[in-house]
Amino acid sequence: MTKEDAQGSTAEETQSKKGLKKQQKEAEKAAKKAEKQAKLAADQQGTEEDDFSKDQYGIAAMVQSQQKLDRELVRVQDLTPEMADKVIWLRARVHTSRAKGKQCFLVLRQQQFNVQALVAVGDRASKQMVKFAANINKESIVDVEATLRKVEQKIESCTQQEVELHVEKIFVISQAEARLPLQLEDASRPEGEGDEDGRATVNQDTRLDNRVIDLRTTTSQAIFRLQAGVCMLFRETLTKKDFVEIQTPKIISAASEGGANVFTVSYFKTSAYLAQSPQLYKQMCICADFDKVFCVGPVFRAEDSNTHRHLTEFVGLDIEMAFNYHYHEVIDSITDTMVQIFKGLRDRFQTEIQTVSKQYPSEPFKFLEPTLRLEYTEGVAMLRQAGVEMGDEDDLSTPNEKLLGRLVKEKYDTDFYVLDKYPLSVRPFYTMPDPSNPKYSNSYDMFMRGEEILSGAQRVHDPQLLTERAIHHEIDLEKIKAYIDSFRFGAPPHGGGGIGLERVCMLYLGLHNIRQTSMFPRDPKRLTP
Amino acid sequence: MALKELSSLEKFLGLKKHNKYSTQGDNKVPVLQSNNGPMVGLLTVCSHLVNEAKRPELLGTSTEHRAMVHQWLEYRVTKVDGCTREEAKTVLKDLNLYLQDKVYLAGNCFTLADALMYYGLHPLVVDLAVHEKEHYVNVTRWFDHLQHYPRLRHHLCPVVVLRNRVYISGHH
Repeated sequence: MTKEDAQGSTAEETQSKKGLKKQQKEAEKAAKKAEKQAKLAADQQGTEEDDFSKDQYGIAAMVQSQQKLDRELVRVQDLTPEMADKVIWLRARVHTSRAKGKQCFLVLRQQQFNVQALVAVGDRASKQMVKFAANINKESIVDVEATLRKVEQKIESCTQQEVELHVEKIFVISQAEARLPLQLEDASRPEGEGDEDGRATVNQDTRLDNRVIDLRTTTSQAIFRLQAGVCMLFRETLTKKDFVEIQTPKIISAASEGGANVFTVSYFKTSAYLAQSPQLYKQMCICADFDKVFCVGPVFRAEDSNTHRHLTEFVGLDIEMAFNYHYHEVIDSITDTMVQIFKGLRDRFQTEIQTVSKQYPSEPFKFLEPTLRLEYTEGVAMLRQAGVEMGDEDDLSTPNEKLLGRLVKEKYDTDFYVLDKYPLSVRPFYTMPDPSNPKYSNSYDMFMRGEEILSGAQRVHDPQLLTERAIHHEIDLEKIKAYIDSFRFGAPPHGGGGIGLERVCMLYLGLHNIRQTSMFPRDPKRLTP
Repeated sequence: MALKELSSLEKFLGLKKHNKYSTQGDNKVPVLQSNNGPMVGLLTVCSHLVNEAKRPELLGTSTEHRAMVHQWLEYRVTKVDGCTREEAKTVLKDLNLYLQDKVYLAGNCFTLADALMYYGLHPLVVDLAVHEKEHYVNVTRWFDHLQHYPRLRHHLCPVVVLRNRVYISGHH
């Protein structure tokens, strides 16, 4: 035997030993695998055999309008004890699901309403169906067939407290992804409550980044229903007062209130601006004998201010009307419109107001009839009495504005008032000067909870004076020629004002940030979604 | 600053003779040249003036009372003088809590502590906004009371104090 052979044989031996072990292991593995597969197969067979309700649940085929089902879908808000023991269909989102042994509780949500649903193992539902129900991702949309049953104890967590649904069929119409960018519970937690319990709250940027989901919270639903209400009441009231709704262009050739805060857009070979207000157009309509006009539409401000109450695009509610002898006719008309809106909200949107105040508590909005009207000098006097130092013709700073609101509330118990006769120097060029004191003007602001919502004035309807004022403000006459010319052929005395829809909603509800009342807010830092 | 304060205090105490003061060091510590040699520091000088005026009750009437007065005088020179904006907030907050059930700093009668604290807090209170004054409502009440205390205010401007609460809901 040579040395090499010896070495070879030992090598072989070790190899075979290793090989044996390997083989053994592999065999074991294979056996285990086979066992597993057999078990799985058996299980599957078992499920298939046991599952007597497999036609009553599942993921439905994509709705591509293949069929017109003659099936009435009941709305969640209509689920009342009167309908008890009926078998109904409904479509809703899975708000939460909670499995508990042989039962699975679902909270089904439709807009701001929700109801509890129960899938329980029994004659109708199999174990597998309960498991399926428990595993539906939150926010998925489901079609459910169920029997409505009265419950002994009120279900505190739902809006439909006296009934629950006993589910017989459940199909997923649209499946949500398992991971949501934010949880609806976190987004609807009342202010401050999360901090105390150490539970999560969602900050505003996250909300706005995922606005589609944030808008599903009951609070958002209520806010924007109320906002629609403001528009509706505005139109309703003014239409009753014989106003005509007009549409004005938003791409304009000249800035109405000085060029500093307008967006410039390229317009073929030249440039144009986005309208800061429909000011000039509503005035031209007055000159064109429309007498009383209003318009609802977007307004743009290129102010680079990142505050709680500024947006770069918002919805303006604008009013302009001709009056007979005194511009207070205009003030009275506008304040009455506002009061009608407040009353309408109070009487017709109580549910929405309550819903919002659950998450953002605030005192109910107060107003007087007729609306309180203070002169600017009175306002300044009140501020001075409170220790604020300011000049007679200084504009109100935001903190002073808020303080004055507080002082007025304390003295007159109203959240809504008009401040009349502003200093002429702080108003735009088309503002009519006060005949008795040329330092003041026939202009006014309206305030809600101490914040400005409307700015308005009697306008100069005399082309001569208007030209003078424009020169005084160093405005290029060439650019506003069309505007001034419209007053040359007989122009009635007129006045008006513009309201910010988002601000009205924010302040009426006592919210702290305008982004909460803008569906897709635009500010210097946000252009999406 | 301290010197104006001392001359106001002299007037308040009704001292006929007006002393001459100088200051010492970067912190401008007041110094009084007296017959017994120089007296250094605000509290030392003030105690001396109180004795001169024969108003020992202003330094406290019992042992505990004297300790209390002393404690607030110390607080004035160590915490209030030269405090930053942040520290001022803490001072006002603590003081507001302390004054909740008191008319004067040391119990129910006026002492030197009230006078010096009033002089010391004046620059802080002057800068407060209306809602802040309302927030530190006990301090404001005490302050308003002191600025109307006979012959105390002298060199300082009056601070406007609203009698009605305007920020009822607590947010502004």
